[in-house]
Amino acid sequence: MHEFLAQLVNGISVGAIYALIALGYTMVYGIVELINFAHGDVYTFGSFVALTVLTALGVSGEVHGIALVIDVCLAILAAAVVCGVLGIAIERFAYRRLRNAPRLAPLITAIGVSFILENVMQLWQGPAQVSFPAVFANPSLALGPIAVTVKQLVVVLLAVGAMLALQYIVHNTRLGMAMRATAQDRDAASLVGIDVNRAIALAFLLGGALAGLAGFVSGVYYQSAWFFNGFSAGLKAFTAAVLGGIGNIAGAMLGGFLIGIIESFATWKLGGQWSNVTVFAILVIVLVVRPSGLLGTKPIVKV
Amino acid sequence: MTALLSIDGVSKSFGAVCALSGVDLSVDAGSIFAIIGPNGAGKSTLFNAITGIYTLDSGTIAFDGRRIDGLPTFVIARRGIARTFQNLRLFGFLSAIDNVLIGEHARMRGTLVDSLLGTPRARAQERAARERARAWLDFVGLNDVGEQFARNLSYGAQRRLEIARALASQPRLLLLDEPAAGLNPTEKRELADLVRAIRDRGVTVVLIEHDMGLVMSLCERIAVLDHGEKIAQGAPAEIRANPAVIEAYLGAPA
Amino acid sequence: MIYVYVLATIAAVVIVERTRSRRVKLAILAALALTLAIVPFVDRTDATFNVLADAGVFVMLALGLNIVVGYAGLLDLGYAAFFAIGAYAYGILASPQFGVHLPFWAILFIAAACAGLAGIVLGAPTLRLHGDYLAIVTLGFGEIVPQVFQNTQAVGGPNGIAALDVPSALGHSFGTAAVPYYFVTLGGIALVAWVARNLGRSRLGRAWMAIREDELAAKHMGIDTTRTKLAAFAIGASFSGLGGVIFAAKLGLVSPDLFQFQVSVLILSMLVLGGMGSLIGVVVGSLVLSLLNSALLPNINAVIASTLHVNVDLTNYHFLIYGVILVAIMLFRPEGFLPNRERRAELHAAAITETSS
Ligand SMILES: Nc1ncnc2c1ncn2[C@@H]1O[C@H](COP(=O)(O)OP(=O)(O)OP(=O)(O)O)[C@@H](O)[C@H]1O
Ligand SMILES: [Mg+2]
Repeated sequence: MHEFLAQLVNGISVGAIYALIALGYTMVYGIVELINFAHGDVYTFGSFVALTVLTALGVSGEVHGIALVIDVCLAILAAAVVCGVLGIAIERFAYRRLRNAPRLAPLITAIGVSFILENVMQLWQGPAQVSFPAVFANPSLALGPIAVTVKQLVVVLLAVGAMLALQYIVHNTRLGMAMRATAQDRDAASLVGIDVNRAIALAFLLGGALAGLAGFVSGVYYQSAWFFNGFSAGLKAFTAAVLGGIGNIAGAMLGGFLIGIIESFATWKLGGQWSNVTVFAILVIVLVVRPSGLLGTKPIVKV
Repeated sequence: MTALLSIDGVSKSFGAVCALSGVDLSVDAGSIFAIIGPNGAGKSTLFNAITGIYTLDSGTIAFDGRRIDGLPTFVIARRGIARTFQNLRLFGFLSAIDNVLIGEHARMRGTLVDSLLGTPRARAQERAARERARAWLDFVGLNDVGEQFARNLSYGAQRRLEIARALASQPRLLLLDEPAAGLNPTEKRELADLVRAIRDRGVTVVLIEHDMGLVMSLCERIAVLDHGEKIAQGAPAEIRANPAVIEAYLGAPA
Repeated sequence: MIYVYVLATIAAVVIVERTRSRRVKLAILAALALTLAIVPFVDRTDATFNVLADAGVFVMLALGLNIVVGYAGLLDLGYAAFFAIGAYAYGILASPQFGVHLPFWAILFIAAACAGLAGIVLGAPTLRLHGDYLAIVTLGFGEIVPQVFQNTQAVGGPNGIAALDVPSALGHSFGTAAVPYYFVTLGGIALVAWVARNLGRSRLGRAWMAIREDELAAKHMGIDTTRTKLAAFAIGASFSGLGGVIFAAKLGLVSPDLFQFQVSVLILSMLVLGGMGSLIGVVVGSLVLSLLNSALLPNINAVIASTLHVNVDLTNYHFLIYGVILVAIMLFRPEGFLPNRERRAELHAAAITETSS
């Protein structure tokens, strides 16, 4: 029981990171029907940006008091902004031209962008794992029978906060509504005067920013970053998006937490070497059995 | 005469939209049959139901005395039902002749080994198929366009090519979804001649059409759909005089 | 010297492609085959044939992937899994690990069958999926297969299987030289290219094109789309299985890290570079990228080292090069460098409409 709860908490924390990444996949897929394969690498990029900022601020271990707040805010801000802009740039230069091309084309391009990003990061930070400062002191808190570390708490709180902010933007701002309208029906949206390009850019911006945040969070959580992290984290997050129902924002969050929990239990029960296999098997099964995911709706065939 | 196609109590709805409700229809072999009705009446949906794109909510469809509802589309095609689409669905980046050749797939036999090894038998079949495909192109009045991409043909030619592709499967029933849409009067007259020629080769034709003049002059029987229900069926003269039909058309001018 | 061979080969294939007369074509092909067969007896540098044999395996793989991606239009991102299955088939059936020592030639058939079967097993439940989803599921499968090998101690776990049997032909062992493998891949390419060409012109090939263009319309033509797509998966996979056996035999070992996602993308890049769906394009694309990897980049390294006196290892960045190839070609010449007619029109039209609107 004790171990069960510990694994659950662990899964929820890791799942928060997947959920943040999954949101980017789901928004982009919802609006341009593209699996933005490079998204996982944008997330890794966020880790490195945050690391660079923290290093520049002289952070190399735990930080306390007001300095903690400032350092964390600056690192998150930098990672989110840089990754948001990176997302927009990728869309503008690599995908936009191919919006009407056969579906194969932008996906292949996305894989290419992913490879480029990975290599750029490898050039920048080297091929080995890079250590990331702890930033937070990490005592364990007892919430009744459950032991939670400060970091786990921070991860989940930051993720949930960001998700609430995202919900607000998407549902209550003009641009957010333009984005949803474009996702519904691009032609109709442009007919009623919505700037479709801006709406699409917004999806990439928000997705990128959340990935940047996830990059910071995971750096702190694992105390390391690696140029190739984005590949498997991205696949898992994509699995989460599919599990929740791709295109569905609440679904991505739900899927993220579920995948985190499943992975955590798979590691516990089957051993770490089977956790990836488990997640990919879930991806395959969900797509085959219920491609619309848990919260998604079935698309209709028009003839 | 026996019914080649019989549709019994077919219903299909999409969410709240009831596209077909309890439609009965029976098409005699060797006839030219028209389905008319205002926009959104459910005509195309009926075709889609026949070719197995949609699963029916209720009702049955039989072709030549055998149930076909619930069968996969490709099996229905192989049984001998071919169609064209309201919004052309040609293989745009294949040549006209390849389009027709693909139409023959419902009829061609050949093993995987033939395809892998390019056996003499496969090559002979291929040559024969090509001959037939040319003949179909000629039949619909498309000479000399064989090697062009389907998408580069004129609109009228694309409509004809779609018919040639459908005929290549040697169907017994041909479903034409608005074949005259977008054609000029001369082309329409040619189309009517083509449809008669197809019927004279023993193919039963069901067509959806909005042009009343064309329908009245070409078809032996007409069914009228409105809001998913069949409101009338009969010979052209009966339909013309039917008050329900007149109202449906006045209520929703097409 | 190696560049001369490859360039001459490429030139010959391109000429064959552009010639109309069947006689001339056959004559050039015969001359090419004869030359390629004689060369090893004249030039005895083993390193050259080592590189060429490796390249040959990739040509076979690319021709197989071309059936799936180029002909049928199904993006398979886990293609390396079938390569792995072929290689492991050799590892299991021709090594001391299990004490089984089947002949190389028999394993070729077995591996092709196993890989083809794996293609069907993967394809059967997944081929209903469209476009991107299919791609991702194949990617997942491509990740699962090497992981399972890695986690299975019976096949050596992360270390894989070593000390594989050296193949022999007509009682002569292949020994340690690369030339026998060079001949095997030549034969393999000839076989696979011939089959691919037959398929492209066959009824099945046309059914693939129909599915690629409009799956729903294809169904209305009486095409059993599921079976037809399965055939593409199975045939493509079996080519990959053949390649895997040759690869494993030549290397003398198999290990799970040889079949990562990057390998699938490398093969995909070969297709994209040459032109998806075009046999000639795929052959040339895969030759060029293989050489880039194994000969050109190391040579450039050496040149840089001797002229600028800095040591860089460009081979570390070859994935950057594939990435750039994928992006640049999809954006500016999506049909690749030696496209076939249908695919050029199809892939290029979209780019044109986009720029003009
Ligand atoms: N796949 C679908 N999903 C949802 N609704 C559909 C679908 N297909 C048709 N409908 C709806 O069903 C109704 C009937 O459509 P259908 O296309 O059969 O009409 P139609 O008689 O062919 O009209 P038209 O003359 O305009 O071609 C319409 O209200 C349409 O919006
Ligand atoms: Mg219609």
